[in-house]
Amino acid sequence: MENDTPVGTEKKFIIRLVGLQPGASRETLVQALQRLFKGKSAEEIGKALDRLPLLLSRSVPEDKARQIKLFLEAQGAILKITYSASAIMAPPKERRRPADVPARETPKAVESAPAGVERRAKPRVHQGIQVQPLGIGEILDRSFRLLRQYFWLFFIIIFIPQAVFFVVNFGLQFLTSGDMTQDFSLSMGAGFGISAFLAVLIFLVLQFWAQGALIHAVSETYLGHSTSIKASYGAMRSRLGRLIGTLILWSILVFGVPALFGIVAAVAIPSLAMMGLGGVIGGIIAVVVVILAIWIFTTLFLNWLLADKVVVLEEIGWMKALRRSKELMKGRTEPGFWKSIKTKASLIILVGFLIGIGIHLLFQLPGVLLGIVFPEGLVVTTVQGVLNMVAVSLATAYTAIAMILFYYDIRVRKEGFDLKMMAEKL
Amino acid sequence: METTKDRLTIQTPEQVGFEYVLAGLGSRTAAFLVDTVIRWFLILAILAAVLLFLRFLPALHLSGWITDVSRPWLIALGVLAYGLVDLGYFLLFEALWSGQTPGKRRQRLRVIRMNGQPIGWLESSIRNILRAVDLIAGFYPVGIVVVFLSRNNQRIGDYAAGTVVVVEGQQSVPRDRKQFVAPQVLTHPEMEWYVSRLKPAQYQVLRSFLERREQMEQGHRHELARLLSHQLFKQMSKSTRMSISYESFIEEIVALYEKRRRAI
Repeated sequence: MENDTPVGTEKKFIIRLVGLQPGASRETLVQALQRLFKGKSAEEIGKALDRLPLLLSRSVPEDKARQIKLFLEAQGAILKITYSASAIMAPPKERRRPADVPARETPKAVESAPAGVERRAKPRVHQGIQVQPLGIGEILDRSFRLLRQYFWLFFIIIFIPQAVFFVVNFGLQFLTSGDMTQDFSLSMGAGFGISAFLAVLIFLVLQFWAQGALIHAVSETYLGHSTSIKASYGAMRSRLGRLIGTLILWSILVFGVPALFGIVAAVAIPSLAMMGLGGVIGGIIAVVVVILAIWIFTTLFLNWLLADKVVVLEEIGWMKALRRSKELMKGRTEPGFWKSIKTKASLIILVGFLIGIGIHLLFQLPGVLLGIVFPEGLVVTTVQGVLNMVAVSLATAYTAIAMILFYYDIRVRKEGFDLKMMAEKL
Repeated sequence: METTKDRLTIQTPEQVGFEYVLAGLGSRTAAFLVDTVIRWFLILAILAAVLLFLRFLPALHLSGWITDVSRPWLIALGVLAYGLVDLGYFLLFEALWSGQTPGKRRQRLRVIRMNGQPIGWLESSIRNILRAVDLIAGFYPVGIVVVFLSRNNQRIGDYAAGTVVVVEGQQSVPRDRKQFVAPQVLTHPEMEWYVSRLKPAQYQVLRSFLERREQMEQGHRHELARLLSHQLFKQMSKSTRMSISYESFIEEIVALYEKRRRAI
């Protein structure tokens, strides 16, 4: 790679290999580098690739630098080419430090952070990946790209609980519609009830597990790592109890508190009517209660929207996870109503909802049409069920991915998550 | 690994390459959402106008042809106006605003031809008439699948018209772009030497911190400033005791670096 052009006659460039492009093959790049560095073995180059950034050349003329850039970038390399002013100025071979400055020490781990600030688990970020603040459009588009690129990974993760539930549900329906219904007894009814309850329980556990696995898979791929369905489900094993507990707590609080208002109103309004205070007063109370319940539901839902991500990615659970989610969701990182954190989250959910409706229309219309043409039949029911499962899985995956990217975006903006990663590599 | 952006590269006859970032399904849906809200308002306005006209027409005691306009005709005109808004909204805006509608402008999106040129009436007409193929009940089930499978995120209308939707520029992330003034007396005597050794990547991290620190929470902001300063101290082999705050130290380094760069 070293060129023999006399120093000072033309512009020279420094070429560094700083990373691998997403999806690039390491072997291909090693082979490409072997063509440039003929004396080096594949093992030597492989070892050098482990210590990126790698200086490829200190002084290359412009045309050659261009050739190298085209060649290596086509093989999946991320290059950093800088203008080498020192090459023109003909610097000394080895620059010396000023005598009064001591030699540089090997970097050590920094001192521990003040209590309470850096309590989170630190995700690893791949060198070739840029994590930075994203606009709302970028979050939505990047979610779409991620879904397209890792379609089968995300789809199957979400599809598994749906499929299990479908099979169990189908089996139960088959049993109840068969000959067994003719000799239906109380003990059989109890047995069936318990089976149904167990089926729902298994579905819920699987659903929460899949939710956690999806968060893990999206996080890994977003930060530039590879993962699999097995690895994603496996990574959730140790956090499953905490995740289920937190999500049950979340559901009780988010749906239970507004429901409590509804119950109070349902008791209070007839009581007021019996006391002769019905009519207009009762109506006003009902409207106020409904507005209050909607407001409480929306507030709690948005405040604790990131609780599942917190459980999986920061390894904290229960009320701590809810508090942490609220901490992330509060305040604003940019001026303007449309850029407040909660407005952005609502917009992501709304866009996901619209896309979800489109997906449901697409997948359920054939089932509906089939149902009209063939009103009864096991095949039609099965096809409708499968199409419904696919629609639910696809619609869920997009919004879930967007919310995970949104979680990272808040951390990048409010906590400088990306800068911390970079600072540690300074 | 994930590719960070979908891009479209257009090569001109002069061998100059232009690269566009393709808009994805998400940002296009967000733009559609904004446009839908505007269209609803327009349609509601038309509906209100028709209803008002029907209500007050007999009371106006008008003479001439207008008295012959019957109720069904007015309703038919209202339906026609609705159709024109529904189809014409996208068609007119995209043709007149060089491939943008209010929603696309808000999301910084633009429809362009595959060769990078702005779209005209023909392209706008084709892609918007074919919108009916992508649409079912006001949603885009077919469009979603076609965009998902398309290399350039095109829907059927885009394929027929030879257009793509691209992102114009970066989404704005507020940054404090102010220049820092290097102090006359340096906090550390070796600062000048160290700044001369500061790599562009290191400078970028420090500069990014200063630009984005106002958005950060206080605790994390101080922690990050401390972390960055400690990393720099390690490389300078200096003690961590300082007479100024970590942030002031970083500001000083950045100011000195920028001063040197301007001088070069």
